[in-house]
Amino acid sequence: MKKIRINGKPEFPGIVEAEALVSPKPLEGFTNCDPTNGWTTERNHPLFKVPYEGKVLVYTTPRGSGGFMSYGRGKTPAAFVHYRGNPLSVSCAMCAHIPAVTDLEVDPTTVIETGDMVYVNGDEGYIIVTKKE
Amino acid sequence: MILTDDEKRMLEGDLGPVHQKCMEYLVEECEVSGAERLIDLDGTGDMHVPQTSMSPFYEFPLEQLQELVDSGAHFKIPTFANKSPFPCPTPIHGWKECGMAPHNEEVYHQKALREEYMELYRKMGMMTTHSCAYYLTSTYWPTKGQHCAWNESSAIPYVNAILGARANIDGNFATCFLGKAAYYDMHITENRYATVLVKTERTIQKDIEWDVFGFAVGEEVGIDVPALTGTVKPTTTQICKLNSAMNTGGSIRMYHIPGTTPEAPTLEAAFGGRKPVREVMIGEKELKHAYDILNYRTGDDVDFVSLGCPHYNIVDLMMLARKLEGKKCKVRTWIMTLPWLYDVAKNLGYLKIFEDAGANLMSGTCPACMGGVPQGVKRMAVDSAKQSYYITGCYPDTKLEVCYGTQDDCIAAALTGKWSGEWR
Repeated sequence: MKKIRINGKPEFPGIVEAEALVSPKPLEGFTNCDPTNGWTTERNHPLFKVPYEGKVLVYTTPRGSGGFMSYGRGKTPAAFVHYRGNPLSVSCAMCAHIPAVTDLEVDPTTVIETGDMVYVNGDEGYIIVTKKE
Repeated sequence: MILTDDEKRMLEGDLGPVHQKCMEYLVEECEVSGAERLIDLDGTGDMHVPQTSMSPFYEFPLEQLQELVDSGAHFKIPTFANKSPFPCPTPIHGWKECGMAPHNEEVYHQKALREEYMELYRKMGMMTTHSCAYYLTSTYWPTKGQHCAWNESSAIPYVNAILGARANIDGNFATCFLGKAAYYDMHITENRYATVLVKTERTIQKDIEWDVFGFAVGEEVGIDVPALTGTVKPTTTQICKLNSAMNTGGSIRMYHIPGTTPEAPTLEAAFGGRKPVREVMIGEKELKHAYDILNYRTGDDVDFVSLGCPHYNIVDLMMLARKLEGKKCKVRTWIMTLPWLYDVAKNLGYLKIFEDAGANLMSGTCPACMGGVPQGVKRMAVDSAKQSYYITGCYPDTKLEVCYGTQDDCIAAALTGKWSGEWR
């Protein structure tokens, strides 16, 4: 199976491997995240009501209100993987306390597909993608 | 990371458990963000209330807050309350008449004000402005270059781009109480220069153009710092629209309008003397696309109107009163303002005009914060990109439709129950 390593920076420590859920559009919080069910409620979003609990949630950048941290409350993903972060992803990681990697050398949404397995190393700041068959 | 001796003592618990908890939070924020040190704040702060931390891992109980207050502790920097208390910010004013349960119920209202916390925070020096746009009534602003800890995505560009002070979205108990913040992102000069040049085809000048433009810029620019060209000098209303819309479509903590905002006397200064990394055109096609996204409707019948996101300033209220005087609203109409403006509006006669027109002046919150709209509403009208885009998130199962347009479009809808707005 093809494995791809992508280097980045640690955002929150921890190591986990799980299936990826890829958001082709930046994610938004506040009312557009439902932490009780663990899905986005943003209208017209490709991941509208798609559960992310237990998945490696892969996205480009955070957007919207400080309520982005809702992705780190309630039902959380197994890990966060994003291309670029900012104070929204920082406070989200601090709410979730799950492995998170940021500042990857390539936009992970261009490499990872939903269903791929992703090993997330939040201690050292890299991921290894195993493409699905 | 580097801590001063005083910071180390706080971390070790020498100053008590709350100082320790707050310092642990800040140290973790440094580790997560990559900040190498803390910065002493010399500006102002605001925080969402009543929670004692933005992270559940660093919250401490009410009893501990009481002990802290009993010891005579105060917030280190001038600290303001952002909007009505969570978890479901209820109106500070206008709640009885709002027509939305449980917000219009006395027992719920009293409980929702979270007075058990607010009383203690006031003793610590918090000024309970309770607004997303609290800076409009705070009467006290940081000056250029001062380091602050603000919260609320729409307020962050106000402190950074408009005032030229410096803040991330990290206004919370720890930062306001200790007067320290993680030194990264917008605290650092290098990160404040523009990297994206934004151009337009039309000149952005009307209120709705600033709002739609802001949403489109947010979607295109993402988390980068843009220099905005092709606009007139914005009014306060337009700045608030731009800031809130940019942080709905994207996450823009800082921008420059060359010749207008304090860190960009020229286009060259906005980029720190460097060339733009990229250029973005927000032309007619992009503006129309954003307008269409913000309209989420299949028909023209409107049964609810909500104005004032971000909260209306005093000129907005004056203009609205002028337009509603002697008229009668056909559908329920909410007007959201800042709690500290409510009595001003009353004294100026605007409240009476709104009441006579059948509109409800409210403060401290908004439909999205309240968790929705009055029961039975099928299609609402708003004059805010932010409200349009967030209110539907409250209705993932039963679709709520939204008509988005100008204040005049919304007033027409309030008076007739029909939507007639269109992009021009």
